[in-house]
Amino acid sequence: MNNLVLTIALPLLGAFLLPVVMRLSQALGLWLGPIILGYGCWLLGNLWFSDISLPLSVAIGGFDAPYGINLYLDSLALLFAFAVQLLGLICWPYGLNQDTARRQALMLLLVAASTGLALSGDLFNLYVFYELAAVATFGLVVASSTSAAYAATFRYLILSGIGSVLTLLGIALIYSQTGTLNLAHLAQLAPELLNNRLGLTAYLLILIGIGVKAELFPVNAWVPEIYATASSRLSGFLAGLLSKLALLIILRLLVLIFDQPEAVQIVLILGILGVISGEFAAWRAKDMRRMLGFSSIGQLGIIFIALSLPDERGLLALLALSLHHLVIKTGLFMLADGWGGSLERLTGAAKRSPVGAALFTLFALSLVGVPPLPGFWAKFTLITELAAQSEPLYLIGLLVFLLATVIETSYLFRIVVKLYSSAETTSEQPEHQQLPGLSLATASLFGIALLTATVLIAPIGDGLQAVAAEAKNTELYIQTVIPATPGGQL
Amino acid sequence: MIFSLLDELLIFSAATVLVALVLGRGLAVGWMVTILYAGQLLVLIKMAALGYGGDPIASELSLSVMGQDLSWRFDALSWFFALITLVAALLTSWFSCGEWERKFKQQGGNVWLFHLAMALNVFTMLILLASGDLLSLFIGWELVSWAGFLLMAVAGGVATKAAMRYITYAVVGGMSIFGGIALVYAAAGSLQYEAILIAVEKMSTGQLWMLVLLFGSGFGIKMGLLPFHLWQAAAYAETPGPGSAFLGAISSRMGLFAILLVLVKLFGIVNIDSLKIPFTLIDARDLLAWIAVFTIIFPTYTALKQNDARYLLAWHGIGQGGYMLLGLVTANSLGAAGGLLHVLNYAACQAALLMAVFAVMHRTGTADLNKLGGLVTRMPLSFLVLLTGIIGLAGLPPMNGFVSKWLVYRSLLEDGMPLLFLGTIIGTLGTILSVYKLIHNMFLGQLRVEHEPVREAPWSMMIPMLILAGTIFVTGLLPGIPLTWVTAALQTIGLTGPEITLGGIESSSGSLDMIWVIGVLFAGFGIGAVIFYSAGPSKRVHQLDNYAGGHFLTADVRYQYSDNFYSGLMHLIKGWYRGSFQWLENSITSLVEFLSLGMQGIYRRANSEFYLLSTALFIIAWVVF
Amino acid sequence: MIPGVTLELILYVTALGLVIIGLAGVVLSSHLFRMVLALVIAEAGANLMLVLSGYRWDAVAPILMQRTDQPAMVDPVPQAMVLTAIVIGVGIQALAVSILIRIRQRYGNLKRREVAEKMDAEIAASAGIRRDISQDAPLGERPLSPLPAHTAESRGGDA
Repeated sequence: MNNLVLTIALPLLGAFLLPVVMRLSQALGLWLGPIILGYGCWLLGNLWFSDISLPLSVAIGGFDAPYGINLYLDSLALLFAFAVQLLGLICWPYGLNQDTARRQALMLLLVAASTGLALSGDLFNLYVFYELAAVATFGLVVASSTSAAYAATFRYLILSGIGSVLTLLGIALIYSQTGTLNLAHLAQLAPELLNNRLGLTAYLLILIGIGVKAELFPVNAWVPEIYATASSRLSGFLAGLLSKLALLIILRLLVLIFDQPEAVQIVLILGILGVISGEFAAWRAKDMRRMLGFSSIGQLGIIFIALSLPDERGLLALLALSLHHLVIKTGLFMLADGWGGSLERLTGAAKRSPVGAALFTLFALSLVGVPPLPGFWAKFTLITELAAQSEPLYLIGLLVFLLATVIETSYLFRIVVKLYSSAETTSEQPEHQQLPGLSLATASLFGIALLTATVLIAPIGDGLQAVAAEAKNTELYIQTVIPATPGGQL
Repeated sequence: MIFSLLDELLIFSAATVLVALVLGRGLAVGWMVTILYAGQLLVLIKMAALGYGGDPIASELSLSVMGQDLSWRFDALSWFFALITLVAALLTSWFSCGEWERKFKQQGGNVWLFHLAMALNVFTMLILLASGDLLSLFIGWELVSWAGFLLMAVAGGVATKAAMRYITYAVVGGMSIFGGIALVYAAAGSLQYEAILIAVEKMSTGQLWMLVLLFGSGFGIKMGLLPFHLWQAAAYAETPGPGSAFLGAISSRMGLFAILLVLVKLFGIVNIDSLKIPFTLIDARDLLAWIAVFTIIFPTYTALKQNDARYLLAWHGIGQGGYMLLGLVTANSLGAAGGLLHVLNYAACQAALLMAVFAVMHRTGTADLNKLGGLVTRMPLSFLVLLTGIIGLAGLPPMNGFVSKWLVYRSLLEDGMPLLFLGTIIGTLGTILSVYKLIHNMFLGQLRVEHEPVREAPWSMMIPMLILAGTIFVTGLLPGIPLTWVTAALQTIGLTGPEITLGGIESSSGSLDMIWVIGVLFAGFGIGAVIFYSAGPSKRVHQLDNYAGGHFLTADVRYQYSDNFYSGLMHLIKGWYRGSFQWLENSITSLVEFLSLGMQGIYRRANSEFYLLSTALFIIAWVVF
Repeated sequence: MIPGVTLELILYVTALGLVIIGLAGVVLSSHLFRMVLALVIAEAGANLMLVLSGYRWDAVAPILMQRTDQPAMVDPVPQAMVLTAIVIGVGIQALAVSILIRIRQRYGNLKRREVAEKMDAEIAASAGIRRDISQDAPLGERPLSPLPAHTAESRGGDA
């Protein structure tokens, strides 16, 4: 099973080799990244269909957990690791010149770090991969080398830096209490050692720290600017996937270690605030990219609300919402590649690009949850689960969610109507924005994926249910990583 | 797999959508689609030729998604609404074939999109009507909302603005229902009707109130009940001609269908009756009844003010929804039958009226009531249709509107609700005034010079209009036929209908036999005709041959009081038009705008993230210590 | 020494204090380079905390294994981790400073407020939209015409 390590190691190696290879042979350099990512996809896809029983734990460096570092692979991790490799391939910065070579190297680094985030079973390793992903992100954003990109990245960097300080502080607290950072081992020890205020403090510190990437409410001010200045393909990757990976870490922490009502409640409150601030801000946004950024904050807020749900169906809602948002947001950012500017300029764009406009409409419909598109089922699972909770705070969450959907419809369909309106505005901007072919093709891919999911919603729902059940099973996690000790002390 | 009749109907309808989608750019698509609607209607009639009496027909298709079972079935209530939907679709689509399409295309309209939107509307409505559990009901509901949006937005320009307003309201309604469904699911553990019926019995008053409010306002938005009625008039009026007639006839009634299914059948009118509003004498049912009455009054008087024939009818249509709800809320045999019958009667009248208006618009190019007049000699058949329609709508014999309104009034009086009755009378007065304005300003009075060459509408438009006019008269003469359908439909939601005869109803407190009523009426007409013709020959003059005060008036002088019609009345009641609902809507929009500005401010301040971060740390400190 | 106050406690408080000083510095400083410095301080605090989490006062460094008396060792894991954390921190600081150099080249100075203002203007310009609210102005329509640039400058402080 050491193949699994390759999915992290190969992109990492590729990232450092790429500049050298590029000098030796341009053709090879051009294909190196896609080949590595394609191999990763193939590897993980094979795992999905092979008869290896998941979940499994892979010890790195010959030491077994909890002393050694391990990778943990269950269906959830596999799903996200696969998504990382695939999305890396889809959002790949194709191109020939020296500048793209640099981007490609950074992209490989980002993919390696992201895969690590999905698979790692050790808290400190998660921190390292998280920082690696951050550095790669900074590099990729400034690669567009506008002055605004530098300024935006700097703000992001400082915020992310504070986030990592807080995370580190939280990790230190946890270590001082338990003496271990292996997630499974922590899960064993947590009920005794971390079920107290100090544990909660550590959790909150990590939550805020990791939350920077997950677009958690108070630490997400970087979002609109970064998405407005970075290339659309990168924004798609960041909003679609990286935020979900940060969310995955928080999910693991919540499920395995901090199973306390306060821990869940704070996520719910921050999620609600995120929804309100993001959706309202998006309602007034005047350019596509920032609108998508704000809307992504709102969507992540909804996902955080789902994260706060205690039982298995809540996790199902979380998964469905995350995957749905992944497809939609990435697709929308692909469209923003050509339509990134002012919304006013989009008037009548459907004439010039009917496919793009149709895709936008499709994504918008699914995002607001029109049945039978997949977004509806995700939202349905969420609200029935929210209504089933006895805490009144969840009902506020439900209310905010419904309100958010109305606002979302309002601003998304204002654009749809604009796209299809026949009156051309010739007043200020006579030049029209064209959709690049590559982005359109990529967006179509997401559109097709969405429609396929619509048709296959029943089996997908069953599959996700199984994934959720597996991820929610703390005992299984511990057993898989530390098999010798059946639930007892080490 | 053997298809049931319902499957056949749905497949037929889906095929219509497909045909409109694929062949829609070809020739004669209108005729093709019309024939397909006729086919759907045939399947529907095959289900029950003489009204629906049997068991529900289930669809073979059932799904299980994420633990939810979805099923579809048809019963008498669905059948009744489906009949109206398909007849309306057939006739409006027929109306659109040929000349209208050609003109629409000339004006830059997209015929393909129009037919597609119509077919989608019909298909989604059938799905909604066929829903077999609360989840499939909601799916159907959302689909209908969005299909309606598409049809409204087809025309572009002003229409898209109206459609945008509509969809915002519709999504508010949809989300309100969605929230209600979530609560029902939490209480019942399932969205099957049987499980909900059991769960409702155990619910506390608070829960039931919550659900009634959520579902009531959600469905009420679609019906255009006060205070959610603002979207409707513009949205319906700006839809391209036949689409407007179709939407006006049936679209809002989907809200009534859902109210019947959820509020009356599932929650039970008895349970709703027990929900008292604290510190007052009224309960939830009275609340609904009063909302219905105010929905009759306010929009009807707003209609009186309109100067565009389409808007006048659309505003007016909102008010008519109130009669249906009022009748059904009384829930006695007469009122419920009257309310449900009015759905059919109103659909026929509204479709006929809108078609007549669009026929005039087709010929003259305007629906502005200040720019029309005297068309009775030019378009006599259209005039006849319009006349039939307004008599029906105003609830006067011999047309069908009389029957349904009579039943509603009767039930109000029998139940001892004089104030509600008074409200409906005020509403009816407004109706009569506004439809008179319509027929007067369009067909009577002075013919405008530019309209002198106007001809009667083409036959492709006239035939469906005449069929509708015929329907209005026949269902007025023989209300027993639709009343059997209505009675069967009422039984499925747990209400009983009245005793029916062919000419009306049989009741201990007073029967109604329309055959007699109409007989007497026509006898009166006959006597009048005898007197008129026995008075000797009359002299025919040209329509523009007019005198006032002994002076000959040339055709270019506007001497009629068509402009600013009802100015005296308006002077009296203008103080009542305050636009309070508009004010309410505006203030909500402003609030959203304000909040939006504030939220953007948070993200755009130079130091925002750091302020936020420090706040977050404070929260941590507060939570932990 | 005050009773109850051990060296351990002082060190913990120092670590936490460093983090708080760093955070306060990031929040309060109006110059971008000072923000980087503040971040460095905060990181130092976090690293100190990490080292302390595995430290034992009665033990020796984990590399002194050849001694015959085999005393207790300090936990080596946090020390390894803190090395990693320091390296990562330095890397990020270097990146931050290099970005600062670019910002200085493009925008001419490193005042936080001005950089934010210019960035916002640039984003708006590249998107082709008119900026409707200024960072310094109250929200909404302004009844008077905007002040000339030099007077806006001289107002200073937090408007």
